[in-house]
Amino acid sequence: MIAIESVFKIIFKGIILVVLLFSFSEIFAAEGGPCKDYGECDKFKYSLNDIESLQSGASTYINYCYGCHSLKYSRWGRVAKDLQIPEDIFFENLVFDKSIKPGDLMVGAMPEDSVNWFGVQPPDLTLVSRYKGDDWIYSYLRAYYEDSSKQYGVNNLVYPGTAMPNVLMSLQGNQKLVCKEIPVIARNGGEKRDDLGNTIFEKKCGFLEVEEGTGALTKEEFDKLIYDLTNFLVYVGEPIKATRERIGWYVVFYFLVFTALSSLLYREFHKDYNREEAFK
Amino acid sequence: MTEIASKLFTWVNTRLPIVNTFERHLSKHPVPSKVNFWYLFGALAAVTLIIQIVTGIWLIMPYSNTEEQAFSSIEYIMRDVDYGWVIRYMHTTGASLFFAVVYLHMFRGLLYGSYQKPKELVWIFGCTIYLAMMAEGFLGYVLPYGQMSYWGAQVIISLFGAIPYIGESLELWVRGDYYISGITVSRFFALHVVALPLVLIALVFLHLVALHEVGAGNPEGVDIEEYLDEDGVPLDSVPFFPYKVLNALVAIGVFMTVFSIIMFFFPEGGGYFIEMANFEEANPLVTPDHIAPVWYYAPFYTMLRAIPDPLGGLIVMAAGVAIFFVVPWLDRSKVASIRYKGIYSKIAITMFGVSFLTLGYLGTVGVTEVRKTMSLVCTIIYFAYFLLMPIYTKYETTKEVPKRL
Repeated sequence: MIAIESVFKIIFKGIILVVLLFSFSEIFAAEGGPCKDYGECDKFKYSLNDIESLQSGASTYINYCYGCHSLKYSRWGRVAKDLQIPEDIFFENLVFDKSIKPGDLMVGAMPEDSVNWFGVQPPDLTLVSRYKGDDWIYSYLRAYYEDSSKQYGVNNLVYPGTAMPNVLMSLQGNQKLVCKEIPVIARNGGEKRDDLGNTIFEKKCGFLEVEEGTGALTKEEFDKLIYDLTNFLVYVGEPIKATRERIGWYVVFYFLVFTALSSLLYREFHKDYNREEAFK
Repeated sequence: MTEIASKLFTWVNTRLPIVNTFERHLSKHPVPSKVNFWYLFGALAAVTLIIQIVTGIWLIMPYSNTEEQAFSSIEYIMRDVDYGWVIRYMHTTGASLFFAVVYLHMFRGLLYGSYQKPKELVWIFGCTIYLAMMAEGFLGYVLPYGQMSYWGAQVIISLFGAIPYIGESLELWVRGDYYISGITVSRFFALHVVALPLVLIALVFLHLVALHEVGAGNPEGVDIEEYLDEDGVPLDSVPFFPYKVLNALVAIGVFMTVFSIIMFFFPEGGGYFIEMANFEEANPLVTPDHIAPVWYYAPFYTMLRAIPDPLGGLIVMAAGVAIFFVVPWLDRSKVASIRYKGIYSKIAITMFGVSFLTLGYLGTVGVTEVRKTMSLVCTIIYFAYFLLMPIYTKYETTKEVPKRL
């Protein structure tokens, strides 16, 4: 009987191994990332305690995006308070409609028939960071390129065929999809060279490059602008997020202390345990 | 003052069995003296149930069960209600962890034979609780009225349509409309907050009453009733209160630590506890790229997809849940615990565990040809575990179970 059992054990281990190998190669095959033609989305790490960044993002949003995209679950006064902007300065500089009160929702400025302008109603963006993800927004806003076949002369690698024009083009400049001669990388990780010692180049396409002098900002400045904007959208997607992560530490600490105390109590009771007396 | 208090207590106690109940079910209720961590998940499930009920009551207050306001009332809770986000995240995290601890609790039952005579009814009540939880979870998921609420409900309700003859009218009856609408939301709300919680509480009560009648099990599968002291109390037992209660308290501390780490730092659970698409309001005109159920339904969803025919898929999926009910009569083993069962049982339960997890993973990702085959293979393994149980448990060689714990 023992012999059969060990045979089964071997067969069993074999099956698990096959299943695992099978799994890793095929089951977990990539499904085409959310950033489409762009490849992997650029990684974005929010910093909700960087108030300056959030303020700058809010300003960019209201100046460039709010005209079309509402933030209808968010309230004006809440944004001013969370971003530590004094209410009078906030309303003076960022709220253009003077009839708006701090408790009002940011319902946007688009008329009902705006669907005729772009073919689609510009979506509300309060929760965009939650259903698209911050990586996606950060990549999307930087992936516009010139494409004369499109209605607004631009297309997007992250969201091919997007209906939105590149609103920030005056800042970014005219970005194009270009081809480049780049060194071929050899198997050892170095640049591949021919017999004469010259580096071998190959042509690769699909690079984004801004035409020099066409934009008001440098690449770094523009990336920072988009960073702040995305950071603001992360904030507005969940205004309590920074507080949540701060309170979380206290709660976790509380339960660790709770666990420690209850296990001491448990030990204390078991030390005095006496079977004879227990059920009396 | 203390005299008045004690008089009052005596007055109540002669009319209501407080002391009796306390002694019978807590301070003098014998439970096996040696159990392992697997025996703590029942208590954790009870804790989660309480969390769900309490947070649920507070969520009802600001929630609006209309088509126009369901989604925005959730955002109102998250933004404008003081600590509304705490209540809501507790409820969403609680839902996922409820299923997690119940799955572990059920697996404990399979490992140590917690369904064997005379515990059949405890097991059946437990399976019914699980069934009610699945319905409760589904109904609750529709309430925020996001894209995944809408399209998930669309998929699940259309399953009824696969039933021959009555299918279509049944579908209409459940939905209350020709498509999912405010009418569906408000009836699901009623079922989610009143009907099913009542059923769940009643079932949990029965589960516990039946358990206290037959006594708790242990990982050795030893019958502690065999050796009693002069008072008729099992020798290998301890009083439930305070010894096991304190044990559970430590477990609750650990569990709540994990709970709060998820709730405060990863409330979306990487898109598994709150799916990303559900942050977009329900839109009947736009289908999400990829409709996936929440993780706790995923294994059964995979079974549904593995079968090409809709009715066949529905039957297999229903059978996948229903088969748990008959486990007490499928297991023909002389011993209860996996520790003393033979090699076939050990192989079977491992294969079952692996296939269940794989089915779960496959349910959350898109379909490819290879994954389809894997789904089918895992479904077959899943059912083989149950259907072959009468054979492998009867004919394998088991080890001798010790007399004492």
